[in-house]
Amino acid sequence: MPEIRVTPLGAGQDVGRSCILVSIGGKNVMLDCGMHMGFNDDRRFPDFSYITRNGRLTDFLDCVIISHFHLDHCGALPYFSEMVGYDGPVYMTHPTQAICPILLEDYRKIAVDKKGEANFFTSQMIKDCMKKVVAVHLHQTVQVDEELQIKAYYAGHVLGAAMFQIKVGSESVVYTGDYNMTPDRHLGAAWIDKCRPTLLITESTYATTIRDSKRCRERDFLKKVHETVERGGKVLIPVFALGRAQELCILLETFWERMNLKAPIYFSTGLTEKANHYYKLFITWTNQKIRKTFVQRNMFEFKHIKAFDRAFADNPGPMVVFATPGMLHAGQSLQIFRKWAGNEKNMVIMPGYCVQGTVGHKILSGQRKLEMEGRQVLEVRMQVEYMSFSAHADAKGIMQLVGQAEPESVLLVHGEAKKMEFLKQKIEQEFRVSCYMPANGETVTLPTSPSIPVGISLGLLKREMAQGLLPDAKKPRLLHGTLIMKDSNFRLVSSEQALKELGLAEHQLRFTCRVHLHDTRKEQETAVRVYSHLKGLLKDHCVQHLPDGSVTVESILIQAAAHSEDPGTKVLLVSWTYQCRMKSWAATSRPCSRRVCPQPPAEAADGSGRAARGPVLYSRTQSVPRSSLCTCAAPAGHGLHLWGHHQCHMPAKWPVWAEKINNPWRPLHILFLLLGWDVHLQ
Amino acid sequence: MDPECSQLLPALCAALADPRQPVADDTCLEKLLDWFKTVTEAGSSLLLLEDSPCLVELLFQVPKAQGLSAGILSFSLHLAGVLAAQEDCFQYLQQGQVLPGLFGEAGPRGGAAWTAPTVRSGWIQGLRALTQHPSALRFLDDFGALDTIFSLQGDSSLFVASAAGQLLVHILDLCMRGPAGAQPGLQARDWPACAQRILGHIEESLCSTAAPRVTQALNVLSTTFGHCHSPWVQVLWVRLSPLVACLLEKDPVPAAHSLVDLLLSVARSPALSAEGGLWETLAQTLGHLSPTQAGPLALGVLKLQDCPQALRTQAFDILLQPLACILKATAEAPGPPGLPAEPACDSAVVDALLSSRSACVGLLCQTLAHLELLLPTPQRPSPWPQAALLGATVTVLQFCCGSAVPASDVGSRLCAILAGCVRAQRAALDFLGALSQGAGPQELVTQVFAVLLDYLTSPDSSPTVLRKAFQATLRWLLSSPQPSSCCDLDPHTQRFLGELLPVLQKRLCSPCWEVRDSGLEFLAQVTRSWAEVPELAEQLLQDPESYVRASAVTAVGLLSGRGLHAARGSPEHPGGPQKSLLLDLLHVLSADSEGFPRRAVMQVFTEWLRDGHSEVAEDTERFVARVLQAASQDLDWEVRAQGLELARVFLAQTLGPRGPDCPYAVAPPAAVPPCRLAQALRVLCRVRLFEFAFRALFDCDRAVAQKSCDLLLFLRDKAAPYNSPQGAGNGPDVASVEATLQRWQAGEQGQPLGPLEPEAAVAVLRAMDLEGLQGALAESSDHVERSPQSLLQDMLATAGILGDNEADCY
Repeated sequence: MPEIRVTPLGAGQDVGRSCILVSIGGKNVMLDCGMHMGFNDDRRFPDFSYITRNGRLTDFLDCVIISHFHLDHCGALPYFSEMVGYDGPVYMTHPTQAICPILLEDYRKIAVDKKGEANFFTSQMIKDCMKKVVAVHLHQTVQVDEELQIKAYYAGHVLGAAMFQIKVGSESVVYTGDYNMTPDRHLGAAWIDKCRPTLLITESTYATTIRDSKRCRERDFLKKVHETVERGGKVLIPVFALGRAQELCILLETFWERMNLKAPIYFSTGLTEKANHYYKLFITWTNQKIRKTFVQRNMFEFKHIKAFDRAFADNPGPMVVFATPGMLHAGQSLQIFRKWAGNEKNMVIMPGYCVQGTVGHKILSGQRKLEMEGRQVLEVRMQVEYMSFSAHADAKGIMQLVGQAEPESVLLVHGEAKKMEFLKQKIEQEFRVSCYMPANGETVTLPTSPSIPVGISLGLLKREMAQGLLPDAKKPRLLHGTLIMKDSNFRLVSSEQALKELGLAEHQLRFTCRVHLHDTRKEQETAVRVYSHLKGLLKDHCVQHLPDGSVTVESILIQAAAHSEDPGTKVLLVSWTYQCRMKSWAATSRPCSRRVCPQPPAEAADGSGRAARGPVLYSRTQSVPRSSLCTCAAPAGHGLHLWGHHQCHMPAKWPVWAEKINNPWRPLHILFLLLGWDVHLQ
Repeated sequence: MDPECSQLLPALCAALADPRQPVADDTCLEKLLDWFKTVTEAGSSLLLLEDSPCLVELLFQVPKAQGLSAGILSFSLHLAGVLAAQEDCFQYLQQGQVLPGLFGEAGPRGGAAWTAPTVRSGWIQGLRALTQHPSALRFLDDFGALDTIFSLQGDSSLFVASAAGQLLVHILDLCMRGPAGAQPGLQARDWPACAQRILGHIEESLCSTAAPRVTQALNVLSTTFGHCHSPWVQVLWVRLSPLVACLLEKDPVPAAHSLVDLLLSVARSPALSAEGGLWETLAQTLGHLSPTQAGPLALGVLKLQDCPQALRTQAFDILLQPLACILKATAEAPGPPGLPAEPACDSAVVDALLSSRSACVGLLCQTLAHLELLLPTPQRPSPWPQAALLGATVTVLQFCCGSAVPASDVGSRLCAILAGCVRAQRAALDFLGALSQGAGPQELVTQVFAVLLDYLTSPDSSPTVLRKAFQATLRWLLSSPQPSSCCDLDPHTQRFLGELLPVLQKRLCSPCWEVRDSGLEFLAQVTRSWAEVPELAEQLLQDPESYVRASAVTAVGLLSGRGLHAARGSPEHPGGPQKSLLLDLLHVLSADSEGFPRRAVMQVFTEWLRDGHSEVAEDTERFVARVLQAASQDLDWEVRAQGLELARVFLAQTLGPRGPDCPYAVAPPAAVPPCRLAQALRVLCRVRLFEFAFRALFDCDRAVAQKSCDLLLFLRDKAAPYNSPQGAGNGPDVASVEATLQRWQAGEQGQPLGPLEPEAAVAVLRAMDLEGLQGALAESSDHVERSPQSLLQDMLATAGILGDNEADCY
């Protein structure tokens, strides 16, 4: 049974160290390879031992895909490729490839320089890892190998962030990474076409939140900065090197310009240049406004924002400083914080999440007396503000994306379990698709239907065309033919062609039952009695007495014969052909999802108006893709006596049923009638 | 436990047990558990519980509380296990009915919380922690835990399923260890009831028709034979080996991967080394498995120490078969000896190779990787079919680039399958590089160089393939006999180099930075032995990509270090090209906006100083002074740290080497004669090494400060015999120096120190508490935030206000 399997090693009902294993069509893909900043030991990385036990990593994994440069999505990559031993391809967008090493170096600096960790990846390893990267463009279909292809879509969120579609045959998975459905000051909104993936793996950070407009947050931010500066205070904004920092810089730069403010704004030395370089280089990844104004003025060439020098922190008067790192856990931002914390006129604005074990986390949880090195206590008198500028889709945005992509099922990652539960229900209700939310280590298995292409002979197609209308995707039609399976190929041809190709003669089967009746009259008279009896009982059916003495009830033939040994007994031979035909009907609303097994409808849609009853030869088959195929087996040993149909241009995933037109119960009923049993023919 | 933590613990336990106060994220709970593990490892758990009754209360309350998060429940289960690992504490918790409430039927096992994988994981981890003594085994039995563990082996969570399997092994081991002096009998029927139940379960699973159950049983057995080496494992294997052998009769063999793991685990077990039937089972398995499945087993067999020769031969044949098929597909005449002959070229292998592109590539890559792993091991089969393997690998590469001439239908199909396959190219190039360790007939070596050149030249080679091709080329070049100069090379290599240089030139101009960088890395490596000097390496000092500039610095630095720049002398460069290179590199050090090239310059300069590079030797003092000055102003911490490394080399040259790192090694007397010492100190003052090191001592980057502290300690020890004319610390300079240093320490590093005299420098050095600083610097920068006290404070502070700091992204 083909299936898609998804196992999060990280980001399953949590945020941090995103790493999701997807197995699709026999291909194994790792989606993101992130780290968790809340840990200082090996737990910061996903537990790769669950992959290495499958043999050599490079043999097992077909590729790694990185959605964007945030460390919770790429931080474990050098460890995975250079220390665990993965030597296969890594796919990411061009901006991600350019920016990733900067953040990894920054992170390495904190781990090795500040925390003194040994056994950590080196700069050379970061570089070697980056050399394994195959950079992709948006909307470019990249063939990883003959069967596996990937395609990137714009995700907003940060520069270079992308959603990826992974496709093997007719099965596909879309992984969103982190995305944002509303444009911000420097990036556009995520977009994906109606690609109808088999599975959409979406982040769900704000699964239950409808976020207030970003404008409000921006106004609030500017107001707070302005007020602090006006009263002569200093504002510290701890940020990571690239990403949110640039958005806030544009915001302040514009505000300073508009308000004609004079207080200096500083940014950690070196980073502005680097950031500017990449934002200029990847201008096509920014939003429309920036691209439009780029010709007149580069938004990233800031007039008011200057490089920061350590000595500036002691300068009197107001100022705004963007300093790294973002969680106040080391380096320049922490140094400045220590200097400024004691003055209530100052303010620190935390624009993002802080993990436990950092000063950022402490002050956000309201702690105001912080123990520093050497048992010194730092009293925090400055104002502490938290304003999340992280660019994630809120609940509305996630629903919007699901609606856009029209997946057959959805899987939630990168969020909290309780919130996911809420969103899961909402998605299931609104879109009538299955929604999953596996925890880390849990595997979700989705059975899928194989796509089997079937060739149709030109003759058969012409014959069908001659009989009716042209093929129409919206009006499924039956196409009768004989299916030939040879050398792993399927062909639908006319029965005559099949017989000819295979050099076989057609057979017809008749099934015969013998009923012994005690009747001393001649055979002809017995036949007449049978005819009269049936004629009286089966008023709605065509009962005939043929010249040769036999009786027919529709296609059922009854003949009377003498018993070879007992002249007082007559033998009634009841025979019938055993034909069957396939039958289909259209589902009412949307294509059926594979989780629900639909019941037969009350009435068949072949125009007969007859109820589809009786035993079903085929229970529901696998959902049938566009080029679909159904077969119906004839009695054993007569493989050529096949009847089937093929629905050209049939919308994907129609359930197909088969029904016996000549209900096998009918001859039996006739027998029962003959025997005088009280049975009602249905 | 320190008093501060003891004080915080009751409030924290109350918060944890209160569903209205969501505590911080799961990382905090994991860290809290780490801390409890440390505390219980260091002392008595019973005492801990007696001192902190809130813990017992927490463990008692948690299973009863409604609405608690799965994380807290999981944490409590695990914590209870950690505490109950000590038998007296186990009894204490048992008496209080804490353990049955957590692990028994009344606990989460029967409730809705069980649907959360984290709870099941906590349950398993808790049991794993507490199963350390016989009382624990009785406890497991009393509460029917074994059945639950059996069922958890098939859990939907990988983590839970894997932990359940490991717990079974642990329980089995503990059962069989028995109380001291009472080893269970060697007959399985004499084993403890618990062990017999596990054995029965494994037997049942091995006979199951469901492949996952077979896999679970095989995994448990693999872990058992891998970890337990007592005599009872022999009994276990004797009992179970017929069932394992039965698996081979099925078609296809179920759970083949796990079966291979088990057989190798058994074969490696010291307790089972004399077992005869095992070799037959291994041989049988090798014969039954598909070529792809048999590969890892064949590799494992070949790595075994005492393995019968026949089995080794069989295993090696299996490894070689895919390559034999490759060779056969192109060879019109019989190929080089060594690979399996015609009948051994199994049709199954051919079928596997031809069935689909992914199967073919998978099998080939696996084979090449296995052979590469086998190549450097002492168990490598002998004779090693070097020539045949070389031929086959070259053929694979030729198939991939379309230059092979197929001699059969199989060859044509292989050609179509492998054409342009990057994965096969990478694997084959890796193996080809590894094969450079052994010799080969000249004709084949020529072919190797030809195919490498094809790859290096081909416009179709992807950057990753080119990198592998460069690496393989390097290995083959370095494996050639080392000549004293390029002229002594054998003619083939000379010809190859002649053809390689234009290719390299082209590659160094590639628009792809990865290719330029790989080219430079190759160049730098190759110059470590010998090379022609492509001048354009120097041009790449201006490359737009910082990684490439850094590699260019390394390459030209190494070239110059070996005097290979000397040939470039020309009338346009009156000062000589080396001088210009020094200036170029100094310019990179002071002007490059990226850290990587500047770091590379510092490494090159350190090497130059260490090796006595001619330009450095001209005026070492001036060189060191200039480099240290540039490094001290650098923003990159690694450049400053490398500056200290250069200073250390200079010190060693001036004052004699540092003492040996090994305390037992015999070292020559370390003292420097006083006159030489005074002279050396004056030199150090002139190059402003003291100023550089003092500044680095108060560097905001910890690694720099730490390195400087080590350097100054060394310097202080070396300068111990030095007697200043005025007496230590009396001169007027000392006070001002100390004042400046204090300002530096406070972060005001802008202030210059001015010219320093040896007397003042030594006096300041002696007055500093360098040992104290060294201790402080050895602490992680976040050691305060990482302390247990800080963790408890953070968890308490965040209780109930979690929403304000939601995890979104980093």
